[in-house]
Amino acid sequence: MTSTLVIFIVLSLLTLYAAYRVATAHLITHAALFLAGTFAGVAALFFMLQADFLAAVQLLLYAGAVMAVVVFAIMLSQMREAGDHVPRWVDALRSPFFGFLPLISSVALFVILLISYLDTPWPSSATAAAVNSTRYVAVPLFQSYALPFEVASVLLLAALIGAIVLTRREDDR
Amino acid sequence: MAGYAWLVAALPLVAYVLMVFVGRRVGEKAALFGIVALAVSAILASVILVQVVHGQTIAASIPWVTVGTLKITMGYSVGPVEAVLLTMVSFVSCFIEIYSMGYMHGDARYNRFFANVTLFVTAMLTTVLANNFILFFAGWEIMGLCSYLLIGHWFEDPANCRAATKAFIVTRIGDVGLLLGIWWSYSLTHTFNFNALPGALSVLHLGGGTLNAIALLIFLGAVGKSAQIPLQIWLPDAMAGPTPISALIHAATMVAAGVFLVARTYPIFQMAPSALWWVGLVGAVTAFVGATMATVQVDIKKVLAYSTISQLGYMMIGLGVGAMWAGIFHLLSHAFFKALLFLGAGSVIHATGTQNMHEMGGLWHKQKSTAITFIVGGLALAAIPPTSGYFSKDAILASAYQAHDMLFFWLGALGAGMTAYYVMRAILMTFFGKPKKPEIYAHAHESPRVMTAPLWVLAVPAAFLGLVIDGPIRHFLAPGTPAPNAGWMGYLPLTLAVIGAVVAYVLYTGPVARRARLISALRPLYVLLKEKWFFDHLGSGVVYLLGVGPSLAISAFDRYVVDGAVNGVGRMALWFGRQWRRLVDGNAQGYMLTLAVALAIGLIALQALGG
Amino acid sequence: MPGASGVPLIGYLIVAAAMFCIGAFTALRRTNAIMILMGIELMLNAVNVNLVAFSRFVPAGNGARGQVFALFVLAVAAAEAAVGLAMVIIVSRRRDTIDVDHINLMRG
Repeated sequence: MTSTLVIFIVLSLLTLYAAYRVATAHLITHAALFLAGTFAGVAALFFMLQADFLAAVQLLLYAGAVMAVVVFAIMLSQMREAGDHVPRWVDALRSPFFGFLPLISSVALFVILLISYLDTPWPSSATAAAVNSTRYVAVPLFQSYALPFEVASVLLLAALIGAIVLTRREDDR
Repeated sequence: MAGYAWLVAALPLVAYVLMVFVGRRVGEKAALFGIVALAVSAILASVILVQVVHGQTIAASIPWVTVGTLKITMGYSVGPVEAVLLTMVSFVSCFIEIYSMGYMHGDARYNRFFANVTLFVTAMLTTVLANNFILFFAGWEIMGLCSYLLIGHWFEDPANCRAATKAFIVTRIGDVGLLLGIWWSYSLTHTFNFNALPGALSVLHLGGGTLNAIALLIFLGAVGKSAQIPLQIWLPDAMAGPTPISALIHAATMVAAGVFLVARTYPIFQMAPSALWWVGLVGAVTAFVGATMATVQVDIKKVLAYSTISQLGYMMIGLGVGAMWAGIFHLLSHAFFKALLFLGAGSVIHATGTQNMHEMGGLWHKQKSTAITFIVGGLALAAIPPTSGYFSKDAILASAYQAHDMLFFWLGALGAGMTAYYVMRAILMTFFGKPKKPEIYAHAHESPRVMTAPLWVLAVPAAFLGLVIDGPIRHFLAPGTPAPNAGWMGYLPLTLAVIGAVVAYVLYTGPVARRARLISALRPLYVLLKEKWFFDHLGSGVVYLLGVGPSLAISAFDRYVVDGAVNGVGRMALWFGRQWRRLVDGNAQGYMLTLAVALAIGLIALQALGG
Repeated sequence: MPGASGVPLIGYLIVAAAMFCIGAFTALRRTNAIMILMGIELMLNAVNVNLVAFSRFVPAGNGARGQVFALFVLAVAAAEAAVGLAMVIIVSRRRDTIDVDHINLMRG
């Protein structure tokens, strides 16, 4: 077992633990905190995959921007507690549909994914790492994917305007 | 010419598109698009018919989809059966659109009516032309959709909407079978082509079980579309639509599509003898049961609806005993005389404002044209010579006799007797006797010429078509087949028909007291068995003579088995609905959960199947 | 034979699958709208892990594609978070709750 593998396992377990705490947090602020942890864990995984640029974007955009938006939303909606039935395992099995169906379907999904992953012959060796991972991503992004890139920017602009229009107070009009 | 056969279906489609997009601008003149297109189609179809008679094959196809090894070609092929149907459908529908110009005049959704009729004709012609299951099924489903739209044409009345929904859903049950049959045969042979399919199936040397199952699944589609038992329940309700629609779709053309489906895939059925026997059995039971139901109806359109069910049963008998040509022959003559009867009934309803025969009577004096043509149609329906119905029904029953299918023969013959009875009863109740409601009688008047002229035009083929084409159509559809001959037994259906008519005549021209006496004599049985039955069928006492037992059994079957099954399905749906309500009560999370569960189940299934 | 980084592809895939299922569970089970959005973010992140992992393990030349797609997913996720949370805010302002059990305007 190489040291990389050990690091990977520890990192994954931490990330998944954070994700698990998101799912089960009582306080919504705790959920947000653990969500930030998960995002950071994912960024670390990106580093391990030698996608440095993406890892940086992940940290900036998710752990930074999206988290800020989430925290603002929590603040503005004045919901300190999650305000719903936090799924404790006993609860989860009790109510007929929202109780066990989400649990069963997510677990089933995971098991089935696991089985099919184990059945599939994967390429075993990683390709050589790119020297400059930013350039590595940027070249195709601005050449073959220039049009989708522009579409994405229009989408972001639309989302920006949409969010502003939606949250404007009635008396502002 | 062969290259232009697709125009027969394409022209109405063009007319439909025009009516939808510019119809609003030209107002009621938009109907002319449809009528002109259908007239040209009818002319083209008759040219094709002549060519096919002269032994030409008309077929063409183009590759449509090529994905890997999957090759689907689109195309048409016109054989004798298709040519006959093409001509009949385009002529009858062109004609009915002309009639509707008068009938629907001033309707709030006049253009929509004509657009839907034109789309229906497009679909029906496509179904007939198609040389493969894909195109056929597309046309078949569009027909179902148009039928739904037209039954619910007057959707202001919730009852009409219910009838439309019922028709749509019940026929869908059959379509599931048809679709399964199509898939199954495709998975075995990798072809959708009607002409290639039988050969491809026969070289596989399949067991009889598989072939029979495929044939029966296809037949299930026909059962739904052609309103055969047990899926006949939608047709009487479909009478909620405008009367021209009852005449066109629910008597002459669409319901015959089921018969056509069996005829189109007949080679498959010939390889599956037990499936073919079931076709005959379902047909025979339907022919008989439909006739018994018709004897107790008081709504003039319902009488005709049940008689349509019954007559479609006769066509199925013809197919089931191997005399496909006789079935198609009956389809053809039925299209004419049943359209005539429906338009006649429309004229009566137009005059009296009621569909209840108990409120009619004596209309002979007011509506001579309608009465005479209705009687001609009635004689054809009752199969009295020399009308068209006599020749075609006789050919079916004689073929059944010759094929030694005595069960089919007897059920058909008894049905023929009852057919004559209910026809006679309807004619007597509507046109003769004393007017039962003076105020209705006083206001009754002959319909305008735009409505009676079509009646006369249709009366001619209804009366004489059989006489003219009896021999030729057999040689055309089934070359080399000798005329079926049932010996002296061949006269049995006619004899029973005469007896049925006489019984009806005696009962319905005799004093009312006699009918009442007859009823009271058998009252205990009625009261004992079903009080509701007694009230529903007051005035139709003769049902006793022709057999209370069978009728009651049938009624019970309809009420408990058919309705029970339908209601049971409904209740089950209700139960599921309650259980799953939380998932679909407008809560997005519920929808999401459904999606997740379905995804998990789908992936598990994929994995389990070795995906 | 593990790859150059010492971790086989399937390791990343399993982590991503587990994260995806946790996210799906959160989105399906929690009734708080913000929690649901967080669940969706988790699912999107899991997808990104998959994409980047694949881009590392498929032949060179196509490798960048996975990362480019991950970038697009990021962009869409950012847009979704902005609009989704804006909706949460107006719902909380108008109805005093963001419990989706009480939000069923789609009821037919």
